[in-house]
Amino acid sequence: MSDLLSLAAAGEVGGDFFKERSSDTLPCQAKPDEVFCFDWARENIDRFGTPTAQHFELVVISVLLGFAVAFALALLAHRRSWLQAPLLATTGVLYTIPSLAFFFLLLPVTGIGKDTAIIALAVYTLQIIYRNTMLGLDNVPSSAKEAAQGMGYTDRQILWRIELPLAIPEIVAGLRIAVVSTVAIATLAVFIGGGGLGTQIYGGGNLTFPTSIFISLAIVVAMALAFEAVLLAVQRLTTPWRKARAT
Amino acid sequence: MSENQASAVRYEEATKRYGKDAEPAVDRLTLEVPAGEICVLVGPSGCGKTTAMRMVNRTVEITEGDVLIGERSVRDREPAQLRREIGYVIQQIGLFPHRTVSENIGAVPQLLGWKKERIRERSAELLELIGLDPELGDRYPAQLSGGQQQRVGVARALAADPLVMLMDEPFGAIDPISRERLQNEFLRLQAEIRKTVLFVTHDIDEAIKMGDRIAVMRQGGRVEQYATPAELLMTPATEFVEDFVGADRALKRLALMRVSDIDLWEAPWATPGQPTAEVRAKLAAPDVEVPYPLLVDGERRPLGWLSERDLGADTVPEQPDSPLGPVLERDDVMRDALADLLQGEAQYAPVVDHEGRIAGVLSVEIISEFLGSPEAKSDDQPAVERPHE
Amino acid sequence: MAESESHVSPLQLPFASFGGAIEFIFTPQSSNVTGGKEVGGFDQAMELALKQLEVTALALALALVIALPLGLYLGHRGRGEFFAVGLGNAGRAIPELALIALVAALIGVGLVTVTPALAVLGIPPILTNAYVGIRQVDRASVDAARGMGMSELAIIRRVELPLAVPTVMGGIRGATIAIVATATIAPLAGVVTLGDFIINASIYGEDGRLAGAILVALLALALEGLLALLQRRLTSDGLKLKTV
Repeated sequence: MSDLLSLAAAGEVGGDFFKERSSDTLPCQAKPDEVFCFDWARENIDRFGTPTAQHFELVVISVLLGFAVAFALALLAHRRSWLQAPLLATTGVLYTIPSLAFFFLLLPVTGIGKDTAIIALAVYTLQIIYRNTMLGLDNVPSSAKEAAQGMGYTDRQILWRIELPLAIPEIVAGLRIAVVSTVAIATLAVFIGGGGLGTQIYGGGNLTFPTSIFISLAIVVAMALAFEAVLLAVQRLTTPWRKARAT
Repeated sequence: MSENQASAVRYEEATKRYGKDAEPAVDRLTLEVPAGEICVLVGPSGCGKTTAMRMVNRTVEITEGDVLIGERSVRDREPAQLRREIGYVIQQIGLFPHRTVSENIGAVPQLLGWKKERIRERSAELLELIGLDPELGDRYPAQLSGGQQQRVGVARALAADPLVMLMDEPFGAIDPISRERLQNEFLRLQAEIRKTVLFVTHDIDEAIKMGDRIAVMRQGGRVEQYATPAELLMTPATEFVEDFVGADRALKRLALMRVSDIDLWEAPWATPGQPTAEVRAKLAAPDVEVPYPLLVDGERRPLGWLSERDLGADTVPEQPDSPLGPVLERDDVMRDALADLLQGEAQYAPVVDHEGRIAGVLSVEIISEFLGSPEAKSDDQPAVERPHE
Repeated sequence: MAESESHVSPLQLPFASFGGAIEFIFTPQSSNVTGGKEVGGFDQAMELALKQLEVTALALALALVIALPLGLYLGHRGRGEFFAVGLGNAGRAIPELALIALVAALIGVGLVTVTPALAVLGIPPILTNAYVGIRQVDRASVDAARGMGMSELAIIRRVELPLAVPTVMGGIRGATIAIVATATIAPLAGVVTLGDFIINASIYGEDGRLAGAILVALLALALEGLLALLQRRLTSDGLKLKTV
């Protein structure tokens, strides 16, 4: 107590602090039904820095990994149509398994920590990215492909110069969905020791208090929106022909 | 303009069979398309005309036999390489939606590794050639009308100055009015660039209009007749060709017209005693299609045809060498006029007005050309008795 | 547990763990980890599984009642696209952990508060897919039906809905996946589902934790399988010719 008094004298601890303590109640964050404690938020905002960075890292790496795998699978299945149904089914099954369970199914193989979380999150994105990539490729007008082949494009050239560019809108749409979902689900990484904003919602075996939860929620939503905006911009930039409409 | 390449195309017993023992889709096709000509492959659906055309650029692989461009077999090279030297136009056009018009046109040059500057110049050149505003070069296909898109498709096929052009019902997906225009413009273009064109259509009228030569095909790519449009109309080789060409239809149309409805050829005429040098000069005039002059009297009434021998003398003789043959009147119903021509076994005949004076020359060629043209399909003018003008 | 692990090769470790988990599911165990208490076993597993099914079913029913009619109606009329589609996108961004935590902290624990929370997660996919499913029904078919004199309700029931089945069912299945997944962490809010095995490994041990993961996965897959069968039953033969 004396320390606090001397701190107060030095102006390091706000007067409100005493007021709260002396009003026989606990600090705002300890009161279970206090919806939002602005003071606490203001003072403790930096503790969200690392979890946010971790969260960001989780999302980016998982989505990139998931995209790499799903895209490769889609290209494979594009040429060998017998693969399409099995791949769709497999990615669908993987999508169905709740991420939390998936973390712990992986645990015996990959252990605790960020890596397990990343793998599980990446697996979760496979279905949507694979499906959308296939959809995008299927929607390429066959007249364009036929013309290209007759003009002397090789199969490879047709894929990379004609089919994939035209499939971009669907592919990016899939990416957007994947990213937004992953941002939300990455909060569960706390259960497997993967860090992220989930740590500010459920830390050390207990739920934290509303203010912390709200802030985490807000950051998650903001991050999701930010990714959406970026991907939307990427889509617009890479598809200039879509703005043009018949006169 | 660097349009100077065109090669002949030759089919040598070319056969396409799907499956080992199946009936061939194209059975031992043997055909020669001279360089610089439009050869139309026409026939009912499924007769193999498209398959035959596509054997040239190997979008359909040849099972037996061969196809040669110039003197080189199409099997000589990798298909992709081969196709870059052949212009390819399909019915649905197939422009790349994600590339601008200029980029679409420059597609094959780009594949061939041309420099950017040259590609740009070439695109601009072609846009002008096909009659499109150069500004359209930066637009995307979705912003163009169907007719414009198809023109771009043709320009795209011409971009790399191909040896041969393949056109598969290229105007099929366009509305009839634009189609007429496109056909005419393509013919105008072809007059300038003289490419070797293999043109597939199921429309006999289009075939007659567009083709220098027409191959009427039936099941299995079998050619029933390979001839010029006029020959096809006048002397169909088989019943199939006759049915396909639709002799009845043509005649029906002819019954609706008079000789005066059509543009006749100039008749180079000569009077007895006229110096033959003058007559020769008349014959040499640019618009004259008739090889021999007509002997006429003082009232310009036809007396007969002058021959080479007649013109050997200094002056034109009193009596013509060849008899007159059928003489047609301006008010004649066209079908009757054609009947007279055919019965008289004449390629052409003088047409006189109601006073018997020469008004021009009608030929079978004129009639067949007319049958393929737009005016033939317009309003129905009944053959009523009109007062003589 | 520690002793047996020491002379097991790394490759065999996963198998050993799975072995232990399977055992946990079927026979109650006790060990030093659980402080001597008996945990696990078939009865307990069943109990938690049923609880998870219960809360999932309730939440799904609630979500269906709210979202399905609304989505179908909006789709039929062609209105509210921004809302219907936007909600679907927004719904995906909701972190389930935060949702459950807030409900537990601010509203209360137990089935009564958790069910609506789960329903909230299920509403967006059902709404969006119902809307989109109806919208992408060929307008020509609808016009023809209208021209034949069908009432609006009849059109929805007999023309639009059958053609929209694949998409609508897709939305329902998506909602189920989301709800089942969140039901896994419902123990945080007092509804003790299979997730308890996972979250409270201090009580159940590592075998219990893995067992929980396996059971949750199986439950989710079984539900999806059922819904897939249902979808196939509901899809008319003409539509079955299209995959997915």
